[in-house]
Amino acid sequence: MTADAAENSTENSTENSTENSTEDVTEDVAEGVVATRFGKVVDLGLVAIVGVWHLGLDSMRVLKSWPVYEPPAVAAGAWLALTLIQTVGSVLLLRSALGARTARILAGAALVTGVVAATAYPPGGAISDASWAWNTVGWFGMLLLMRRPLWELITLLGANTAVTVGFLAADGALDHVTLSRLLASVYVTAGIQLTFAYLVRQLDDGAREATEIAAAQAEHLARATADETVHTERRRRYAYLRIRVEPLLRGLAESRLDPSDTVVRRRAAVEAARLRRLFVETDDTPHPLLHELRACADVAERRGVRVTLLSYGELPDLPPAVRRELAEGTLLVLATAVTRARLTVVTTPEEVAVSVVADAAAGTRGEPTGLLTTSSTYDQEEEQLWWETRWPLSPAP
Amino acid sequence: MVGNPMAAQPGSLSVAVVDDHPVVIEGIQAWLSQEPRISVRHTGEAVEVQPGAVDVLILDLNLHGRLVVDDIGTLAAAGQRVIAFSQFTEQRVVLESLEAGACEFVAKNEGRAHLVNAVLAAAGDRPYVTPTAAGVLVGDRGASRPRLSSQERTALLWWFQSMSKASVARRMGVSVHTVDIYIRRARVKYAQVGRTAPTKADMLARAIEDGLVTPDDITGYESAAFTGN
Repeated sequence: MTADAAENSTENSTENSTENSTEDVTEDVAEGVVATRFGKVVDLGLVAIVGVWHLGLDSMRVLKSWPVYEPPAVAAGAWLALTLIQTVGSVLLLRSALGARTARILAGAALVTGVVAATAYPPGGAISDASWAWNTVGWFGMLLLMRRPLWELITLLGANTAVTVGFLAADGALDHVTLSRLLASVYVTAGIQLTFAYLVRQLDDGAREATEIAAAQAEHLARATADETVHTERRRRYAYLRIRVEPLLRGLAESRLDPSDTVVRRRAAVEAARLRRLFVETDDTPHPLLHELRACADVAERRGVRVTLLSYGELPDLPPAVRRELAEGTLLVLATAVTRARLTVVTTPEEVAVSVVADAAAGTRGEPTGLLTTSSTYDQEEEQLWWETRWPLSPAP
Repeated sequence: MVGNPMAAQPGSLSVAVVDDHPVVIEGIQAWLSQEPRISVRHTGEAVEVQPGAVDVLILDLNLHGRLVVDDIGTLAAAGQRVIAFSQFTEQRVVLESLEAGACEFVAKNEGRAHLVNAVLAAAGDRPYVTPTAAGVLVGDRGASRPRLSSQERTALLWWFQSMSKASVARRMGVSVHTVDIYIRRARVKYAQVGRTAPTKADMLARAIEDGLVTPDDITGYESAAFTGN
């Protein structure tokens, strides 16, 4: 039961942490590429186009046609009003602070200003060198409504064109020639603006789609790696269970092993400690070795052994294989300790030394390994087993 | 400073105990009462001991939730021998106490014998290293740590592991006395690193007098003695 719980908690923690990091990555990718980078470039482009258009082209046209406006002050006022709208709109757009309401109000104000500007044109001059505001209001629509649904932009461009048609009709200037000039103008103004808006939208969607696919692939990869890791861990643990634990359980089940036999009990205690250590091996803790040793100590404490665990010195990161070997002797001694055990870990500048002193049986020996320097002595006078193993640290550069 | 407490009459080695738990004070008094040379002259819950009023001050490091390591520095600077006595055994706390000029560090779970030995040793300006302090010293990877010989390191490590100098002696193949010399020598080397304090200078001077170390072993000893006194 304890083992099950330990295994579950281990796996859950691994899987949860993988999931969280994958989500974070996906969000980062989506926000980083689409919303921020691509959107910023489009916004900057629009601000630049509208800036050049109004401050450059419009200013020149208004000044050139200055004498024909009736009165010129209206043209100047409309120009100033549009400059104001443009500045506010551009700043808000670049700060990503342009809300739906503000965008509509500013677009409406631009349209009204366009009407005011048109009142100052000479009669029949709604399509002429003097008529500067028509095209400008269209570009303002682009600037302000690009991030809004497309119909809002179409509505504005339609209304803007209607204003021109209205003024032409009022002046009685809607003859064949003017009509064809009107159609040509609509084509080069509203037509181009709509096409531009459409293309930006397509690119935007494309970029978003590409990002989403990339994010999905990254997530899939992360998930696959995590699954692979969990699977490998499970297989390793399963292999261990089959080799070491199964014969013991089988022997007990088939009554070949006697649970009251000291040797059998000791073997069971050792395997229990090994399993406990195995299950916490993949836990994410700052000091995995101490965490694993604590798990070994815990098993001994359940048998009524008083265990003291002390550690001094800053433990370095140790590979799992080294930790396994450092813990192996510990759990063998702890499994045979009768009443007390002192478990110490010391990290000196030269090595990591793990030691257990316990009232354990004299014969307890770990399997000799090539990696570590292990020594074990039985102190007759104090009737205790003193086991020690050391892992050399590479000297600091 | 009091003359030579080690050769003193019964009850002439005066001790003060400062701890914020009366039960601990009474426990320490009971422990020390079994040692005729020691008499407890003062007890209290705050560091309000006049430096020099007693030979040794046993000071709980955590008084009413506050770590009093800094007070050790002040007391040691005035020549007061202090034994840090604490349930906090983190490496940093132990090293800082010794660095501040405490004569010894004794963990509260280390028991009567270690505390009594620490008091007797401190009163004579001699080093005493408990297993806890040994683990801390051998695990010290600080930049200013003194250079210890391999026997000194082994003795400290095994003393920490086994808590039995007899066991360490058997394992090292030397006498218990030699093990004790290795351990004390390692401790004395710590008295000459970091900031200077009269308590540290006294310990160094006594170690040279006892032949535990030679002045050559202790680089910078002279300056430590001069600035200390």
